[in-house]
Order: sequence, then structure tokens, then C-alpha cells
Amino acid sequence: MNKPSPRTPVLAAASMLAIGLTLAGCGGGDSAASDRPENELHVLVYGDASNDVETAMVEKFNETSDVKVVLDTIPGAEYQQKLQTVMSTDAAPDIFFNWGGGSISDFVDADLLMPLDDFIEEDPQLKDAFLPSVFDVATVDGTPYGVPMRGTQPVMLFHNKEVLAEAGIDEAPATWDELLEDVDKLKAAGKTPIALGGGDEWPTQMWFSYVYDRVAGPELFQSAIDGETDVWESDESKESLGMLRELVDAGAFGTNFQSVKFTDGGSPALLAGGQAGFELMGSWEYSTIQDTNPDFVANSLGWSAFPAIEGGKGDAANLVGNTNNYYSVLKDTKYPDAARDFLKLMYSDEFVQEQMSIGNLPTTTSTEQFLDQAADPDYARFQFGLVQDAPNFQLSWDQAYPPAATPTIHSAVADFFAGSIDEDGFIAAMQSLKK
Amino acid sequence: MTTLLPPRPPAAPDNPAKGRPVRAGRARLNRPGLAWTLPATIFFLLFAVVPLIAVVVLSFMTWTGLGDPKFVGLENWQTLAGDSVMLKSLWLSVLFIVLGVATQTPVSILLGVWASGPQRNRAVLSAIFFLPLLLSSAAISVLWRALLDPNFGVPAQLKWLFGDGNLFGHQSTAIGVIIFVGMWQFTPFHTLIYQGAAKSVPPVLYQAAEIDGAGRARQFFSITLPQLRNSIITSVILMVVGGLTTFETVLILTNGGPGTDTTITAFYMYEEAFRRYNFGMGSAIALVLVIVATAISLIMVKASGYDKMRSTMEGL
Repeated sequence: MNKPSPRTPVLAAASMLAIGLTLAGCGGGDSAASDRPENELHVLVYGDASNDVETAMVEKFNETSDVKVVLDTIPGAEYQQKLQTVMSTDAAPDIFFNWGGGSISDFVDADLLMPLDDFIEEDPQLKDAFLPSVFDVATVDGTPYGVPMRGTQPVMLFHNKEVLAEAGIDEAPATWDELLEDVDKLKAAGKTPIALGGGDEWPTQMWFSYVYDRVAGPELFQSAIDGETDVWESDESKESLGMLRELVDAGAFGTNFQSVKFTDGGSPALLAGGQAGFELMGSWEYSTIQDTNPDFVANSLGWSAFPAIEGGKGDAANLVGNTNNYYSVLKDTKYPDAARDFLKLMYSDEFVQEQMSIGNLPTTTSTEQFLDQAADPDYARFQFGLVQDAPNFQLSWDQAYPPAATPTIHSAVADFFAGSIDEDGFIAAMQSLKK
Repeated sequence: MTTLLPPRPPAAPDNPAKGRPVRAGRARLNRPGLAWTLPATIFFLLFAVVPLIAVVVLSFMTWTGLGDPKFVGLENWQTLAGDSVMLKSLWLSVLFIVLGVATQTPVSILLGVWASGPQRNRAVLSAIFFLPLLLSSAAISVLWRALLDPNFGVPAQLKWLFGDGNLFGHQSTAIGVIIFVGMWQFTPFHTLIYQGAAKSVPPVLYQAAEIDGAGRARQFFSITLPQLRNSIITSVILMVVGGLTTFETVLILTNGGPGTDTTITAFYMYEEAFRRYNFGMGSAIALVLVIVATAISLIMVKASGYDKMRSTMEGL
């Protein structure tokens, strides 16, 4: 065993050769088109309940098209990771689902995406059929890179009507002070005032996004993301952190929110089960609870916009959330014409109606006329009103920054709520982010 | 293929009276040729050596997964040297290993020795104990995460024990949960090792001890434990190596949190490479892990005398 093997030099040479090949394989971006599949247009989407509609649209498209669309899905949380590792290989999708903003900016920098100007010139509807504030989120440095698909997902304050009534609260809080009062009332009634899936970290981030937006207006975060990290030290920033600290210290989220998750159904079950009064969550809260507890959704689920903050710079009608999902096109795609035709389906009446029937809210200009056909027309109308009237729709912080920033943002918000870092720690963490 | 077979030694004659097959080693004059190591060598080269060298190269580069990797010299290593999370993650890894070995070894030795008895109920029960072995780590982690939910899991029913159930919100309890789940998952495997080893302890030793008047406890400490020596070393080495590469359990149960309080080195490597898309840095962390793991294994092998492979059955 201990004798040096006579084959060592050969092995070493073989390994070096293999590494050379491996590394060469890594950088195959230039020649990607040559090995892409024939007569197939691969569309990659986030795998979830919405895939049924996408499958139906793909089947409809394939009936008339020579180039067949193949729908690939990646389930849940690992989507962005898989996408990042596949994008510069031959296995990259021709068209892929994304959240606009920071989720595609790295791909744009790496020159992997097709600017959609030409498509829009040929068919202006690809831009004009969508609400402008939504369309702009997938625009990088003035060039459009994405067409809205699926629906908009604003974050709203959901509540359990019965629990609020039990605690003597008549209606959802319209202001921050009312929210603090409601927290006290709910605590007195023996409830966890606000359900929070702190274990997932991104639900915690929603509180930061909204409070910062209400106190400082959307400009603060925009400056931060443009590289002016000083803004995190501003008075408004500190005031926002102070208000959040006050809310946590008031026991608004109970004591064990770090061990609760949204993704395993924990926090929505607190709300639906009557153990909590409120939950701040994206519009998907509705369909999530609908799956497990349709009676609760029909009878006791209430919703409202995030409360206004007195004296804050931000408009109380501003929204935070996932503005929309988008389809972007790979620059190297073999079939740009087929890709364009596929994207045109995204503003078709049929697509809009299909999406509304499963509870998604598309952001085409035609959406309004179909609101009555939605799964829950009241809920659809409320959301659409919010989106239409919002002076600003802030994309979720972790989507606005490039994906590499996500762990830092998530730890910062979670640690601040847990009390393991203070204002200065939070500010330092956010300032460490590069654009 | 058959032509490649070396001449087979004559079949060892059965000797039922002695209960053990006669050792055939002496008869095997022609040891198997080097060609026999080829499949294993190719696999090892392809799946261990080549990736390892690629990782070494990548650790001197910066690469986000998009475009071409760029050489940055020692930059990753310099960052890593001053990185407090890296150091913390190494300490946590060591802590996890020590706690894992300290909890799993006694339990699995006791269970293994107990299960090696001839009684029928022991065979049935040990078959049930082995069930966790059939489950994947991911499934086990998801299961325990759900069981330990503060509002709907076990802690909600046992408030006197768990308090508010914020198990994943404190470092000590989060580590405790991971160690406990690791123990639940891996004890059956090590029990299996000890069961086999305890079964092969020659009964004459116990018979002699009984004649000398040794009780059950004395028999366990003076015969069983010394006879299990090599098995203990094997089992501990497996635990250490397994502990260093523990990953799914941490990812699913605590996600490295609260903060970075359960971010062990393997998880930190994943976070840098696949969440921050910093593959160069991830590779550097991976190399540190390789070096530390190799060092620990070497030290253990040397310190325990495992490399000399002395039989515990000498003289029998």
C-alpha cells in the first residue's frame, strides 16, 4: 500500500486532461446554439399549481406550430439555483419564468438574454397590452427583457374575522397605531396577534419592505439598490427599524416565530385555525389556505392593504410584493419567431381567463373586463384595485437585488427580528450588499 | 472475462467440527493482479480525483455559474482566512461530530449487544429499530421538522418540557435537534455493526468468564467491549466522516440558523456556492473540508492503531 505506484505520472496526466475538458465545458456560452435541440422550444417554469394552465396553453400552441414547445418545470424553492447553473449551458431553456428585476440582471450582464425591442416593434401589443408599472419591472437599463405571465402578487394583511371579533376589533387596522392597539387587544384575548413564518425568513422581509416604504417612500430602497448604501444610515431608515423593533418587542409575533414556517403550512394554519389574528403575506395566501381549509376562506378570511404610517413619506397606496412573473427569452434560441408567437399568447383573452379561474390575477389591460369570472370576484377586484391605484409597486427586496444577495438580506431581517443584531448590525449587513 | 480469472485455490475443506472454515490465505500463492483494481481505480479517478482537482483549480478562480471563470489568485483564500463564519463553521462541525459520536456510540453499542442475543423477540424488535435506515435523510428531516412544529407538533403538547417550543430560535436547542435527529437516523446503522461484531465474539470467552464467576456487567466490560474494539473504531470513523459531510439535515431543519449558529462547514460551502453563486469561494471551503477530514481520519487511524489491524481474536 505504501509503495508509490508506478502509474502515478500517467494518472496525473489523465486527470489534468480531464480537468481541461471540464473547464472547457464550463465556458461553452458562445457555441450554445449549435447543440440546442431541433424543432423544440423549451419553456422552463416554476413548478406549482399554476402549471395546469401552462400545460394547456402549450398544447394549444403546439396544435398549430411546427416548432413544438416543451414545458419543463422545477419545483419550488430551488428554481433560481437550478436556473443559474443551467443558463450558460446547452441545456438552457429558450424561454424561462422569472421575477424581473434582480432575478434577470445577472443574465443581462452576461449577455444571455434577448432584448425584446424587435418583438415589440413587430407586435406593439407585447408591451401595450400590459399595465405599464408591471411591464417596467422586467426592463433593465431601458431595454425590455420580459413579458408578464401568470399574475401579480401584492402582499396584503390577511386576518381571521372571527378572531378579530372575539378580541373586540371591528375592522382591519388602517394605520400603524391601530395595528399596535390591535396587537394589544389580541394578546389580551390570548392569541398570537400576528402569524409569522420566521423560519422561512422571506415573510419577515415583507414587514421591512412595507415599513420602509411607508416611512421613507420607495426612493430609499431605490437609492440603495442603485448603490447609494448611505441611505441605510438615514433617519428614516433608523425610524423604520425602531418601529419594527417596537412591534416585535410588543409581542406582535409571539415568541416562537423563528420556529414557524409558511412553506410547511405552519403560519397559515395559525391564522386559519384561529390561533392568530393577522398574517402579512402575498396574495397566494388565499389559494394556500383554500387548499386545506376552503370553509375558512369562504367565511372568515379577511384582507386589507398594509396600514398607513402617519407622517411617513410613502404613499399609503404603495404596494410591495412580486409585481408579476415574466417570461424572458434566451439570446441563443434557435427559434425566435416561435418564441415571439408563444409570448403573444400571454395577453390573449383565453390566457387571462384561464389564469383568473385558478386565482391568479394577470396584469393585462383587458383583465378588468374578466374580473367577474374570477374564482372569487371580490378578492380579484380588491387586488386589481390595489395594483391599479398603486403609485409604486415595490418588488420584493430579495427579488430586486441579484440572487446572490438573498442570503444576506434574509439573515439580516431574521436576525434583527430575533434580536441577535441591532440597528447598526442590520445597517451594516445591508450596506455590505453590492449592486 | 473468465480467462482473466486467476487460478482458484483448491476449495477449503469443510470442517464442521471446528465451526470455522480453515483459513485459505496460505494456499493463495498468486495474489490478484493489478488489473483487478482497474474498475475501482477508474471510478475513483472519475468521481473523486478529477472533481477534487477541478475544485482546487476553481478555488483560485471567481465564477458565478454564468460565463467563464476568471483567475483571481489567492483572493478567495485571503477572504476565507479572515472570515469569522468559516472559523465558526469549523468549530461547529467539530462540535457536531463530538456530540454525534458521544450520543450515538453508547446507544448503538448497547442496542447492538442486546440485539445480538439469540432470543426471537430481539430479532423482531431490532428489525423494527432498523426502519429509520430505510428512509432518506431529507424525508427524516422533513418529518422531524413537522413533528417539532411549535404550534402543531409535539412541543405544543408538552409545554412543561419545551416551553414556547422555539427550538429553532436558539443555538443550543437547534444544535440539540440536529444531534437528536442524526442519532435517530444513524443509530440503527451503527447498531447493525455492533450486532454483527458482538455475534462473532466466541462463546468460549463467556463460558470461561462464567466459570471464573464474572457477572453480566463484568462480562460486558471485560469481554464484549474489548472484543468490539475494531468495530468501535470503524463505527467512529464512519460517524466522523458522516458528521463532516452532514448537510441535508441542517438545510432542512435549521437552514444554518438561527443566524449562522448551525452553519457547519458543509452547509457553508453550499451557501457560498449555490446561494451566493460564488463557486470559487465554495470550492475553497470544500478544500478546507477535505483537508480537515483527511487530517482527522489520519490522526484517528494512527492514534487507534487501526492501521495495524491487529485481530482481537489472537490466541483463539
